[in-house]
Amino acid sequence: MDIKKVLNEVTKEIEQSSSQQELQNVKVAYLGKKGKITELLKSLKDLSLEEKKSSGSKLNLLRIEVDNLIKNKFNDLKIEEINSKLKNEYLDISFPPPNSIASKAHPISKTFDEVINIFGSMGYSVAEGPDIETDFFNFSALNIPENHPAREMQDTFYIDDKDKEGKPYVLRTHTSPVQIRTLLNQKPPVKIIAPGRTYRCDSDSTHSPMFHQVEGLFINENANMGDLKGTLIEFCKQFFNVQNLKVRFRPSYFPFTEPSAEMDIAYEIVNNKIQLGQGDRWLEILGCGMVNPIVLENCNVDTNTYQGFAFGVGLDRITMLKYGLTDIRSFFSGNLNWIASNGFTIGEF
Amino acid sequence: MKFSYSWLCDHLETDKNANEIGEALTNLGLELESLTDYSEYSKFVVATIKDFRKHPNADRLNICKVDDGTNTYQVICGANNVKKGLKGIFAKDGMYIPGTQINLKKGKIRGEISEGMLLSERELNLSDDHEGIIELLDDFENGTSAVEALKLNDPIFEIGITPNRGDCLGVRGVARDLSAKGVGKLKPLNFKKINQLEFASPIIWNINNDDNSCEYVVSRYFKNVNNSKSPEWLQKKLISLGLRPINALVDITNYITIDLGRPLHVFDADKIGKKLDMRLANANERILALDNKEYSLDKNTTVIADGNNALAIAGIIGGDLSGCTDDTKNVFLEVALFNPNSVAQTGRSLGINSDARYRFERGLDKNMVIEGLEYASYLINKICGGLVSKNIEAGKLENFEHKINYNFDYFNKTIGLELDPQKQIKILKDLKFQINKSNEKECEVLVPSWRNDVKNKIDIVEEIIRIYGYENIKQSVPSASIDEIDKIDNSSSNKKFKSIKKLKKTLISNGISEVITFSFHSIRAQEILKGDKSLKISNAISDDQSYMRNSMIFNHLESAELNFKKGFKNIQLFEIGPIYNSSQSQENILSLLISTEENTNSIYKSEEFNFYSLTELTSILISSLNFDIKQFNISRSTSNTYHPGQSAELFMGKKLIARYGKVHPLIMEEFSKLKNCYAIELFFENLPIDSISRANNINILDSQFQFSEKDFSFLFEKEQNLYEVQRYVKGLDKNLIKNVEFFDLYVAKDLGDDSKSVTFRITIQSKEKTLEEKDLEQLHKNILEKVSNKFKAKIRS
Repeated sequence: MDIKKVLNEVTKEIEQSSSQQELQNVKVAYLGKKGKITELLKSLKDLSLEEKKSSGSKLNLLRIEVDNLIKNKFNDLKIEEINSKLKNEYLDISFPPPNSIASKAHPISKTFDEVINIFGSMGYSVAEGPDIETDFFNFSALNIPENHPAREMQDTFYIDDKDKEGKPYVLRTHTSPVQIRTLLNQKPPVKIIAPGRTYRCDSDSTHSPMFHQVEGLFINENANMGDLKGTLIEFCKQFFNVQNLKVRFRPSYFPFTEPSAEMDIAYEIVNNKIQLGQGDRWLEILGCGMVNPIVLENCNVDTNTYQGFAFGVGLDRITMLKYGLTDIRSFFSGNLNWIASNGFTIGEF
Repeated sequence: MKFSYSWLCDHLETDKNANEIGEALTNLGLELESLTDYSEYSKFVVATIKDFRKHPNADRLNICKVDDGTNTYQVICGANNVKKGLKGIFAKDGMYIPGTQINLKKGKIRGEISEGMLLSERELNLSDDHEGIIELLDDFENGTSAVEALKLNDPIFEIGITPNRGDCLGVRGVARDLSAKGVGKLKPLNFKKINQLEFASPIIWNINNDDNSCEYVVSRYFKNVNNSKSPEWLQKKLISLGLRPINALVDITNYITIDLGRPLHVFDADKIGKKLDMRLANANERILALDNKEYSLDKNTTVIADGNNALAIAGIIGGDLSGCTDDTKNVFLEVALFNPNSVAQTGRSLGINSDARYRFERGLDKNMVIEGLEYASYLINKICGGLVSKNIEAGKLENFEHKINYNFDYFNKTIGLELDPQKQIKILKDLKFQINKSNEKECEVLVPSWRNDVKNKIDIVEEIIRIYGYENIKQSVPSASIDEIDKIDNSSSNKKFKSIKKLKKTLISNGISEVITFSFHSIRAQEILKGDKSLKISNAISDDQSYMRNSMIFNHLESAELNFKKGFKNIQLFEIGPIYNSSQSQENILSLLISTEENTNSIYKSEEFNFYSLTELTSILISSLNFDIKQFNISRSTSNTYHPGQSAELFMGKKLIARYGKVHPLIMEEFSKLKNCYAIELFFENLPIDSISRANNINILDSQFQFSEKDFSFLFEKEQNLYEVQRYVKGLDKNLIKNVEFFDLYVAKDLGDDSKSVTFRITIQSKEKTLEEKDLEQLHKNILEKVSNKFKAKIRS
C-alpha cells in the first residue's frame, strides 16, 4: 500500500474536478462508504497491532488531508461558479433614469411650522377660525363699523349667501376674527396664534387674492406694549435668524388696537440682494397694538382687569423676504418646478 | 397726502430740513411714503449751445459746442431740438444721471469725442418726456444750478394718512402735529376777516333735510367778481403738487381743501336758482359732474338742488353746469358739515373718490367751518374783488365738546413705562388738548375740535406715546408659563398641525410634492363638481375665481395640466387645505393627485399605477396617523368625481375618513392632455385626534416561538366585502392569528359571473409555545368551516 501514490492520485483528481458534482464523485470514490481510503482503513483490522498503529495513523492523516483538499476545492469551485454566474448578470449601469423632480414641502408650510414653533416656545397655542366669516366677526366686533373708511383699507370679497343678520358673508380679510372667536369662547388669560388663509380682492406681483396671515393675541392682567415690542422683536430675530436686528416701531392705526403700531426691519442691498438686519432702508413686516378696550368689551372681557396685545403678520411676505422670492403669484400656481427649487425636503422641513 | 416743504413752512416755523421732517412725520404715525428732494441736482448747471455741426459719421447726431460759464465742451447730442443759442441743463464727465442710472463717461461716439451731456426731463426723472433736451425759456446765466433754473428747490412730501387722522388731510393739521412733536412752532393763520358784509345773499338755503345728511351749512354771495387766472403764488403751489390751475375761484377752493383740509364749493350764482335745497335724489335723476362724467343717482344720494335740478352731489363733487368759469361774475360759496356716513355710502355706491369725499367721510373739524368761510371769503375778495354778502345759513353748528377722564397710571400700565404725570400733561397740552381738572392721579381732558378720533382714555394713551416716541418703549419678552405649555400640549389645533406635518412628511417621502392652490373654483369647476351655489363670490376678480371650492381635485388637475405642459409626464402632488360645503361648513382635508402616463414601457416603471397602488398609498397615509385602513368600513364611492367602479370610501361610523379612486372620465374630458389620474381625499379632521397623536403601537410578530403560514382559497360572491372577511378571520382566534394577508384575486368566466376567487395567507403564532401539527390542523379546519359558512364561500383546492 502506497499512501503517497494514493495521495498523488487523489490530489490530481481533485484538481481536475471542474464542477461540484465531479468533486463530489471524487469524494465518494475515496472517502465514501466504499471509497479507496475507507477500504484501506477497513483493511487495517487484518493487520497486527504494531502495523495497525503505524499504518493507521498514516492512513488517518491521509484521510484528513484529502478531506481538507476536497473542502478547499469545493470552496474554490463555489466561488468560481458564482463568479461565472455574475458575469451573466451584468446590467447597463449607464441606462439613464427618467427625469424626476424632487418632492418638497411648500415654503409656506415651512413658515407655518416655524411660526408655530417660535411662538409655541413663548407659550402661544394655536387657534383657528373659518375662512368664510360673518360681517360681525370680520368687522363690527373688531370696531370696524359699516361705512367707516377703515373698511376701505381692505378690499373685501363678499359671498352671495347671507348670515343671520342678513349681511353677506365675507372672505375674512385678516386673521383677526379669530381674536373674537377665541375671546368669546375662552376666559382670559388667552395666549394664542392663529395662522391661516386670508383674502382680499387685489392681484399683482405683491398682492394675491388669497394669502396667509398669522394672528397673535395675548390677554392677561398686565401684558403691555413693552411685552408686545419684545415679543415681536424676538420672533423676527428667530424667524429671520438675525441676532443683530435693527427694528423700528412706528405709530399706525387699526380700529381693533389702540395704540397701534407697525414694525419695520432695516435692510440694505448687498450684491443686488436684500440683506435684512442693518442698513438705513426699512421694510414693513407687521401690524400690531394693544387690543382696543372696545374690542374686549365686545367680547365681554372685563377691561378693568384684563388687557393685552395683538399682532398680525403676513406669512407670504415674510417668507418672500426670508428666501428672496419676488412674485407671490408663483406661490399658488401649482408649478412643481417652482416647488422643487424653492420648497423644502423632509430633512429641512 | 402731498405737500411741499415751503407750503408746510406757511404754517410751521422750523429750522429742520426735509429729511428731519420726514423722519418726524413717520414717528408721528404720518408715514412718509416718499420725499422728492432734488438738492443733489445742484451739480447740473445751465449751459448754452454756442454752435453745432452735423456729426460726420452719423446722420442723427450733432456735435455741439457747449458753454457752462467756466469752460466750453464738445458734446455729441442726438436730440432733434438742438439749435444755436439753446439754453439747457448740462452734466459733466463722471456725473451720475438719475434717469438712466449710469455714471457719465467722457468718450468717443462714432469717432468724435463727447465731454458731457445735455439732459432731457426723463434723464432727470422729472417726467417721461424724452422728446428732446430741456430748453429753458428764461434767460439764466450759464453755470446757474439746475435746482434754481428748474425751480426744484422745494422738496415734496407724500405721506400716508390713516383713516383716523382726518385732521392731517390739510397742511395745517400736519404742521400742528409736527409742532407738538417739537419740530417747530405753529404759526397763526394769516388772513383778515372781511368786515363789510354789505348785503343779504339773493340765494338762500331752504333745506328740507329729510335724511340728516347735513348738519350745518353756511354760505356767502360774491357780487361782481373778476374770475381769471390765479396769482402766481397760488398757481405755483398747486403745480408743485401736480395739480392743474383752472381759474381763481376753483383754485382757491382746491387750495383751501389742501391747506386747511376744509373742502368747500363755489357755484356760479347766475347758473343756479334762488332757493337751494339739500334733498335725497329722485330715482332716475342724473348729474353731469365736474369730472366730466355723468352719474345716475339713487334715493340714498344727497344732492344740493334748486327746484328740480341736482346741482352737486353733497360732500362729493360739484355739477359741471353750475361750476365757475372764467366768465363767472357772481359766486355762491357753500361751506357745509356733511354726515361722514352718508358721504361714505354715496361715494362708495357711485365709485367717486374725490378730495372732498375723502375728507368728509373722515370727519371734519367743526370749528373750521367758519374759519374756512372767512379764509375763502378773504381770498376770493382779495383775488377776484367784488362785494361780499352776509352769511346765509341752515342747520345748527353744535360746539364740539368732548371730555375724557384720564388716569395717569393707565399709561404706565398699558405701555409698561413710568411717565411722570407732568410730562404726560405737557404732551397733551402741546397737542392742544386742554387739561381741566387735575391732581397727581388723574385729570379731565378736553379734546380739541379737530380730533374727533380721540374718544376714550386709551386714545389719550396713544396720543402721549405717539409724541413721547415708540422708540422709547422698553421691550421685554414674557416667557412661557407652565400653564401655557400645558395648554399647547392639550390644544387640539396644535395636535392637528402636528398630524398635518406627519402627513406631509409621509407624502414627500413618497415622492409627492406639496402645492397650495386658491380656495376658489372657476365657474366651470363649480358646474362640474356641483358645489353650493350660494358660495358664489359676489365681486369675483375673474371667472376662474368665482366660487368657493367644494373639492381641490379640479384645481389639482389644472396644476397637473400646467406641469404637463412644462414637460412633466408623471405628476404627483398634494395639498392640505380647506374645502367649503356651505358658508358655515369648512373642513381641512388632504387632497392628492397622481397623473401618470398610460403604457409607459420603461425599464424603470414595470408596473402601471392602478387602483391597487392607490389603495396601498391610502393605507400608508392612514397608518402614518396611527390607524389601519382595514379597520374602516369600505364601500364604493358614489361621488361623481370618481370612476364608479374604481373608487372607494372609508367610513368610521357615519364619518367619511377617505375617498379615493380614479378620476371620473367625464371630468377628464376637461383635461384632455392628462391620461391616468387618481386622487385621494383624506378627511383627517374626522379622525379622533387623540388616537392620531398617541404613540405608534403596531401589532408586530413579537413572539420568540416558531410561526406557521397557511394559504386559503375561497370562491366568494362577487360583491363580498373582503375587509369583512379579513376582520372575521382575524377575529376567529385573536391570540393565534397574527396576520391575514390577501394576495390573489381571480375573476374569470369559468368561475361564473357572480363569483371571485380570493387567496389569503394567515400567519399563526403562539406567545407560549411552538404549536404542534394537530393544533394547527384544528385551526385550519376551523377557518375553512367558519369562513365558508359565514360568507357562503366555496373552498377551492
